[in-house]
Amino acid sequence: MTILGLDSSAVSASCAVVDKELGKIKAYGSVNVKITHSQTLLPLAENILKAAKLSLHDIDAFAVSNGPGSFTGLRISVSAVKGMAFALNKPVCGVSTLLALAYNLLGRDAIACCVMDARRGEVYNALFDVCGGNVERLTPDRAISLAELGGELSQLTEKEIVFVGDGAELAHDYFEETCSIAPEITRYQNAASVCFAADESEFVPAKKLMPVYIRKPQAERERRP
Amino acid sequence: MLSNSVEETVKAGRELGGKLKNDDAVLLYGEMGAGKTHFVKGMALGLGVTATITSPTFALVNEYKGLYHFDLFRINSLDDLYAIGFCDYIGKGVLAVEWSENIPNLERELDDYYKVKIAKKGENAREITIDYTRT
Repeated sequence: MTILGLDSSAVSASCAVVDKELGKIKAYGSVNVKITHSQTLLPLAENILKAAKLSLHDIDAFAVSNGPGSFTGLRISVSAVKGMAFALNKPVCGVSTLLALAYNLLGRDAIACCVMDARRGEVYNALFDVCGGNVERLTPDRAISLAELGGELSQLTEKEIVFVGDGAELAHDYFEETCSIAPEITRYQNAASVCFAADESEFVPAKKLMPVYIRKPQAERERRP
Repeated sequence: MLSNSVEETVKAGRELGGKLKNDDAVLLYGEMGAGKTHFVKGMALGLGVTATITSPTFALVNEYKGLYHFDLFRINSLDDLYAIGFCDYIGKGVLAVEWSENIPNLERELDDYYKVKIAKKGENAREITIDYTRT
């Protein structure tokens, strides 16, 4: 199965074509230049397909990181994938942005602490146990304060903890020397990881794909009286 | 300060615009017709934004180079605010946010902000108060 994956959940946008049977990345491209994803994402997809001499008809299915992340960014990538998959009548898989980040650490033996900056001392986070080619989820995706996350991390003493994601530097600055940080080349969301994290049992028709926004805790969301 | 005309309200906005850093947030409060949009027109002048500023009531946000002009008149909760992608704009440029009173906890989303309150004191007279808060 050949999958085209997109990610524009945060500041960078990326596109990848992955052959799932062979476990090979056939094509990959990424931009991180602060131009709106609505202008970069589809030209990027078109250009990497062209460079790889592939067409959308060679694609069997689509994958996209559908949250958490920037509300605007998620809507751009999710609607782009929805549109292509709907037109071609191909299945889609929405992948947790945080789960995809854990796949950046495949091959390591560590706790992946996936963190995306949610501002104001909070991060979107989930923890995963990465062991070689396996990724096991330890927590649900959530919005959590750095202080609260610190409490949880202090309980995890058996394995190295590695921060990955666009909030990795923020978290690493906060916790200092107790944890390590993924190097720049594997730190950020990328569409190839999204394709690897896409579970074939979770493919659905295009119309069922939705962004999964994660809200801040209820206390911060009091309604107008 | 007291403004006695649209021109003076624009001038007050221009003065604030001239001293803003490039990612400051300005929350505007005031009833319909108070002059919030005129104040933002002044801010744009002070920021060197040359485009014509119009009310974003229907678009929710009008984007200019370096200035994002929001109108939260139709936004009633933090959930709605998140849904329109407001937080994606924070730190990307100057934010001017009309009808900030619609979101009681709006300030919590910001590290620092100016509050501009424009109160009607007569047909043309307006009392404008500007406070800066760092949380």
